[in-house]
Amino acid sequence: MLNNKIKFNLLLLASFLTVSPVFAAKSAEAVKALKPALAPVTGLKAQDMPYDVGGAVLLTWDAEAAAPEGTLYRVFVSSLEAGGWLQTAAFASGEKMSKDMGLPFWAWKARGGMHALNVELNNIYGDFKDGPVFHFKITKVKGTVAAESETASSATVSNWFRLDRLNNLVLLIVIIVIFFWAVSHARRKGLFIRRIAGLDAIDEAIGRATEMGKPIFYVPGIGSMGSISTIASAFILGEVSKKVAQYDSQIKVPHYDPIVMTVCKEVVKQSYMEAGRPDSYREDINHFVSADQFSYAASVDGMISREKPAACFYMGYFMAESLLLAEVGATSGAIQIAGTDVEHQLPFFFTACDYTLIGEELYAAGAYLSKEPMLLSALKVQDFGKLVVMVSVFFGMILVALGAKFGWDGFVQGLLHLFRNY
Amino acid sequence: MSETWIILGGWLAAGLTIFLFSFLYKDNPFFKIAEHLYLGAGMGWLFQVSVANVWIPKIWEPVSKGELLVIIPSIMGLSLLTQFIPKISWISRYGFTFMMGYGSGLAIPAGLSTDFMSQVEGTIKPFSLLASMSPFAIFNSLLIAFGAICVLFYFFFSVEHKGHLKKVSNVGIYFLMIYFGAAFGNTVMARFSLLYGRFDDLYTFAGTKYLYATQIILAGMVLYFLAHWLSAGRHKVPSEENA
Repeated sequence: MLNNKIKFNLLLLASFLTVSPVFAAKSAEAVKALKPALAPVTGLKAQDMPYDVGGAVLLTWDAEAAAPEGTLYRVFVSSLEAGGWLQTAAFASGEKMSKDMGLPFWAWKARGGMHALNVELNNIYGDFKDGPVFHFKITKVKGTVAAESETASSATVSNWFRLDRLNNLVLLIVIIVIFFWAVSHARRKGLFIRRIAGLDAIDEAIGRATEMGKPIFYVPGIGSMGSISTIASAFILGEVSKKVAQYDSQIKVPHYDPIVMTVCKEVVKQSYMEAGRPDSYREDINHFVSADQFSYAASVDGMISREKPAACFYMGYFMAESLLLAEVGATSGAIQIAGTDVEHQLPFFFTACDYTLIGEELYAAGAYLSKEPMLLSALKVQDFGKLVVMVSVFFGMILVALGAKFGWDGFVQGLLHLFRNY
Repeated sequence: MSETWIILGGWLAAGLTIFLFSFLYKDNPFFKIAEHLYLGAGMGWLFQVSVANVWIPKIWEPVSKGELLVIIPSIMGLSLLTQFIPKISWISRYGFTFMMGYGSGLAIPAGLSTDFMSQVEGTIKPFSLLASMSPFAIFNSLLIAFGAICVLFYFFFSVEHKGHLKKVSNVGIYFLMIYFGAAFGNTVMARFSLLYGRFDDLYTFAGTKYLYATQIILAGMVLYFLAHWLSAGRHKVPSEENA
């Protein structure tokens, strides 16, 4: 009985082992039918990213016309001949098309049916010099099935010319041409400038300080020499200190930036010489306080509250210290004139100062005060720039609206490219 | 950190905060102490930042590795120090000239593209989605474009603002004032949150853990001001009588 049972079990096992490969083959076929093989990415090309500073590679490959929904691309990069793959991007099959490259029409010809991807290698390998060749491959993934492309390789090159910024260059050239025209026009016929109340008050402020025998505080802000408002402030300081020298008044210029201080020293010295009062110039007119924002503010506040100046000028780049300074100046009873292009600090100057120069008025101040043809021409060029913006906004608005209404997508995009910041 | 140091830190923080706040009453020796301490500490901190973040990694280490090109900008930087020696101070002009040129070259193209080109694009771009825009969104975009033109006109300096032009310019001022009002409110709210932070710290330091630092310092200062006021009053009376 027991023998029969064992024989039966052995027979069952033998029949199972014989039949199971057949079933296994059948189930694999069934899975294959359920999961069709994925075609790998074709046409993968790697080349240096054009018009960049280096460190980036442009990958292009053919877009699949009817990619199944849920298909993903995974982009891998390696600095080694074999292995060492790092995933650098992953996105759906409908993304990163050629038209989405973000380059203007004059620098990039968008092609239909093509993917394009800018791989910034600096983000992966840190800063490196041009030279090493990088290898790329793309894996197409759909569910659990994946297909790998062939490998493409490229090195990176630093480019000298940013063709994508051609619009900036053209605008700059136009502005330079207009500047030279304006200079010659200003020298021949002079240029008109409308009245700016804040600047007319400078004479009044200096006169008041002279009458009261109290000093004038000129605060050039916390900007560096790279800041346009600080450059404008240095021009105004030149004119203010010239008047101070003429009236034989006192001026004190506390500084935050040592480089600005040295430039301002030269400016003030020159102004005293032009006013014919080099003997009145003192080295300590410009003095360094601190390069830390709030300790600078605290210290200048202390000086203003102790010395009780007759006039305070705040011209240049200001941040949170604007109200700290202007409020103390107002409390000390000084006539205050401020000017900055930091628009979120202007409200504080409005509340605490007698006159405030808003943004462009600060840039105009140097020309307004000196009436020099060169500076007047710069002002004319600024006005021209504003005119260009106004006209561009007005007509751009109409053209873009028309383009959107009639479905001229290429025209609308081209127009927007002209004004894009690349 | 031992408990004593924590308590001392609390006293220092509470003291310096109250010393600086005392300026709201008037200039006084406590404020001067805090002011000069702040100035010195700020400069000391900046000095170590310059040494640790600039001098060592940007000059010392590259030169040690044989990258001698960094010596050129270093010399230009050092040339600025010749300002302290009048006889050779002219050398500093090379450094300054380079920095002025570099600064302008960096600022002008960046300013041109961000303040100029982007401004135009940002104003006209919403109209590219005209078909999908609600009437309110269209009105909003038109208002922004109108405001941008009027505000720009306010900053036109080579034309006299009179007649119809003055009206356009005045509309520009209204737009500016609305923006400044919003910016003022926004910033004041942020400043108040900083003030609450200081008050919260003072409240913390007023606890038993810090041995009532806030109350004791505050009381000490009130006593000082009271004594100062009384002594000033005593000095003032004879001078008035003399007059």
